[in-house]
Amino acid sequence: MKISTRSMLLGGLTALALTSAALPALAQQKTLKFVSWQKDERGVGDWWASVIKEFETKNPGVKVEWTKVERGAYADTMTTLFAGGKPPEIVHLASFEFQKFADQGWLEDLSPYIRTAGLNLDGWAGQDACQWKGKPVCIMMLYFGNIFAYNEEMLKKEGIAPPKTWADYVAAARKLTKDTNGDGIPDQFGTGHETKGGGGQYLSELMNYTLDAGGRWTDSNGKVTINTPQMVEGLSRWKDVVKNSLTPRDLSAGETRQMFADGRIAMKLDGPWLYPIIRRGKAKDQIKIAVPPFNPPLGGSSNILGMASEIPAESKKLVWDFIAIATSDKFQTDYATLAASTPPSPRAKTDGAKAATPHFDLLVQTAQAASKAGVDRIPKGLEIQYNEFAKMIMEESQRMIIQDLDPKVVAATMQARAEAIQKQ
Amino acid sequence: MKQSLPARLVLYASVILTCAILVFPIYWLVITALSQPDQLRQLPPKFWPDEPRWGVFAKILAERPIFLWLGNSALAALGAVSISMVVSVLAGYSLSRFRVRGGESLGLFILTAKMLPATLLVIPLFGIFRMTGLIGSMWSIILAHATLIIPFTTWMLKGYFDTIPRELEQAAMVDGCSPLGALFRVILPVSAPGLAATALYGFVLSWSDYAYARTFLTNVQDNWTANLGITTMKGEYISNWSDISAASILVALPILAVYLFLERYLVGGLTAGSDK
Amino acid sequence: MAGGRFSLDLARPSRQHWLGYVLLTPAVLLIAAIIVYPLFVSIDLSFQNVGIARLDQPRRPFTLANYERLFSSPDFWNACWVTLKLILVVTSACCVLGLATALLVNNRFRGRSVARLLVAMPWAVPEVIAVVIFAWIFDSSFGLMNWVFLSLGFIDRTINWFSDPDAAFAVVATTMIWKGYPFVSIMSLAGLQSIPEDYYSAARVDGANALQRLRFITLPSLMPVIGVTTVLVMLWIFRDFSIIYVLTGGGPLKATQTLSIMTYEQAFSFFRMGYASAVGVVTLVICVVAAKLTMRRAPDTL
Repeated sequence: MKISTRSMLLGGLTALALTSAALPALAQQKTLKFVSWQKDERGVGDWWASVIKEFETKNPGVKVEWTKVERGAYADTMTTLFAGGKPPEIVHLASFEFQKFADQGWLEDLSPYIRTAGLNLDGWAGQDACQWKGKPVCIMMLYFGNIFAYNEEMLKKEGIAPPKTWADYVAAARKLTKDTNGDGIPDQFGTGHETKGGGGQYLSELMNYTLDAGGRWTDSNGKVTINTPQMVEGLSRWKDVVKNSLTPRDLSAGETRQMFADGRIAMKLDGPWLYPIIRRGKAKDQIKIAVPPFNPPLGGSSNILGMASEIPAESKKLVWDFIAIATSDKFQTDYATLAASTPPSPRAKTDGAKAATPHFDLLVQTAQAASKAGVDRIPKGLEIQYNEFAKMIMEESQRMIIQDLDPKVVAATMQARAEAIQKQ
Repeated sequence: MKQSLPARLVLYASVILTCAILVFPIYWLVITALSQPDQLRQLPPKFWPDEPRWGVFAKILAERPIFLWLGNSALAALGAVSISMVVSVLAGYSLSRFRVRGGESLGLFILTAKMLPATLLVIPLFGIFRMTGLIGSMWSIILAHATLIIPFTTWMLKGYFDTIPRELEQAAMVDGCSPLGALFRVILPVSAPGLAATALYGFVLSWSDYAYARTFLTNVQDNWTANLGITTMKGEYISNWSDISAASILVALPILAVYLFLERYLVGGLTAGSDK
Repeated sequence: MAGGRFSLDLARPSRQHWLGYVLLTPAVLLIAAIIVYPLFVSIDLSFQNVGIARLDQPRRPFTLANYERLFSSPDFWNACWVTLKLILVVTSACCVLGLATALLVNNRFRGRSVARLLVAMPWAVPEVIAVVIFAWIFDSSFGLMNWVFLSLGFIDRTINWFSDPDAAFAVVATTMIWKGYPFVSIMSLAGLQSIPEDYYSAARVDGANALQRLRFITLPSLMPVIGVTTVLVMLWIFRDFSIIYVLTGGGPLKATQTLSIMTYEQAFSFFRMGYASAVGVVTLVICVVAAKLTMRRAPDTL
């Protein structure tokens, strides 16, 4: 390989020139960035796509750049984007993580836009949670209650009736977890939870059990209440399920949902988003949906839509257009049908959804049950520190399972660490 | 020396066994890509899929902007390597041929810089790029990669120039060449293999970066590098190992091709980087 | 151009010339801008209580709190220990495997060049791709490894590779060894080829057997190469980010959290960039010490 000096230098210079030519070209397009973890998620992802399509039709020349960031790294990535001064204009966050962004002043106060547009938010489910320091900084996109889905055929084969209590449930899960082909590797599981990845998801999975046991992270004054007998009971239940591998391990939430839909998991506690996945799974005809055997069911606010504050005024106008489309009666009605979820808007027509989603009333019922019990995934008094709190709970829970610790000791450790986080 | 037959058999057997074990992960990547996604969720595993789905590569190319990712990786690498080579050739030559005050400490600094973890520099660079509005742009990644590459290339080129006899330049200068002219007309042409190896090595350094790309480019999908694209696929809602493997193969192919065709230069570059 | 104006004798040891400085200038300026200045920013940040580094805002007051917190934090000492453990395990495995493969393909046999290519192939696989491969092989539910181990009878129940601290460490180490040994192999092979054949002929005349030849000729001749290579491998492990971060993110229970990962997590997960910079400065000190030691070992390298 003989390269002359001249051609090497020439090559280098050309590369430099190309680089500098390519850079400004990208800055020319008018695009709104929209980062979301729900892209590619069946149901709700389709709904977002329809909102984007409508927006782009209404605003020719403006493109929405829809980027997917995985749930496990979502809070970290979004914080990096905001901290780096390059936030996505359209802000999509889980309802348990937006507080930190609002606290930094990164989310625009939406009240002038709401007033100008005349958007009536009375009776909008979960909208209270969007108030930050007295100002609405976001619109709640979903308030939900968990449902209980089970594979009827698998339960029947073992002669088990659908469980109504924790005791029934765990006994059933134990019976249903087995190695069906005898190769020594369990290939059928009683239930399914995400046990890796982000703290927020881990916390949600765990809370199915702690809530039924009567445990709460904090009381209504924001005081940490982990060191209680109820919480210890909840933690022991979680330990029981995970330690004995009644759930597959090391899988993401999406993978456990898929396994359930394909008939490899017998029982699953999850939000409304589970149904669109079931509908396209291999075991769709064997799966039944019912009220969770746990009381109160996990539920609460799910995700929010907002606007980045450090962006030009013209972009803000466009972002509001986007929010207005997403919150319009028409798209809220579509939300019920496409996402098979309870839309937050009281004006959404759910007749079509009821026809498409047989258990739609059940969704409304569990959402109300969660609401009545005052259940939410965001512990009061730890809103801003949620990310760190959730990571701490995940770490200590993992430690409990790996080192086989007494839940009582673990609860005490969590209590101390949560108080330390709160004081920071 | 002629080996006996049993000795030869043992040798061949161990060579084949060793290669098989060490290359197996790459084989497994290919098999995973060619398997039906639901077959991957069954044990015992199949070491050759019943119906290899060769279409997976076309499918992935249609679904994911693999060429864009590769183009960005190449752009970042070309930019960073060009900048680094220009300054390193001059600096390496200076360090090799001249006694410069502070040259020793500069050498020590460069050696230290070679060792710095990317995670140390990424924090201040984040602050600097934030202030200058470079976050998300290709410039951020080109400059960040230059911090990785310059210490290496300067070091390697200095070592390479050391191996070139000084008589060459002296002869040129006797013929009326200026020292700079001697560098460009005599030394660089002679060093072409060394330059190629060094540039190639810089290319590999840039190509394998993940920390900087993840920190600076996540927000701008159009600027994603290959590594960033692949890791995003891995973390997705449902890990479709078949698709991820197919995308990984497509991303690894260019660098594997470089390796297969230019192995000699790469190896030369590696060994020149040591004290040899 | 008149040669006299640039009268310069390059062969003289005490050569000093303005051209030397001119040639260095671009590199020095660039290095100052993108390496030295950021390093100073980093050191400066480590003495402030900073969440998110914003250079356009006034400096926060000087404090030692980051370092106090660092040295009293069990997480930091854990990260040091994990880093050390990883360096020891991976470096020794890479050296053994690299040397063994180099000796193997240094033999004369048909297809030797293909074998050399294959043995060094993992070196050319990007780290992120290596992670994809091993994350799937070690998948807890459907991975090949559990099945192989069960079939061979090494284990009687499946291992949850990524939720068991020791298992996760083993996965990280395996991936790094696979990615790292070819470098040792390539370097050793180059070293082996530079050993004069006469040594071996002489040893054979003296009646040395293969093992003795390895012990008394090959290994001593290779020592300098192996020394430098070992240092480079150690540094690579010390600096690595992508393998660990993508594979385990440092978990579970910080079992795979090295100093590098800890720096990044503190900076970009918890946004404590001052504290993170303090961890980074510790790694910087380690680098300077390592560089000094390397310099003393091999002064010719400058």
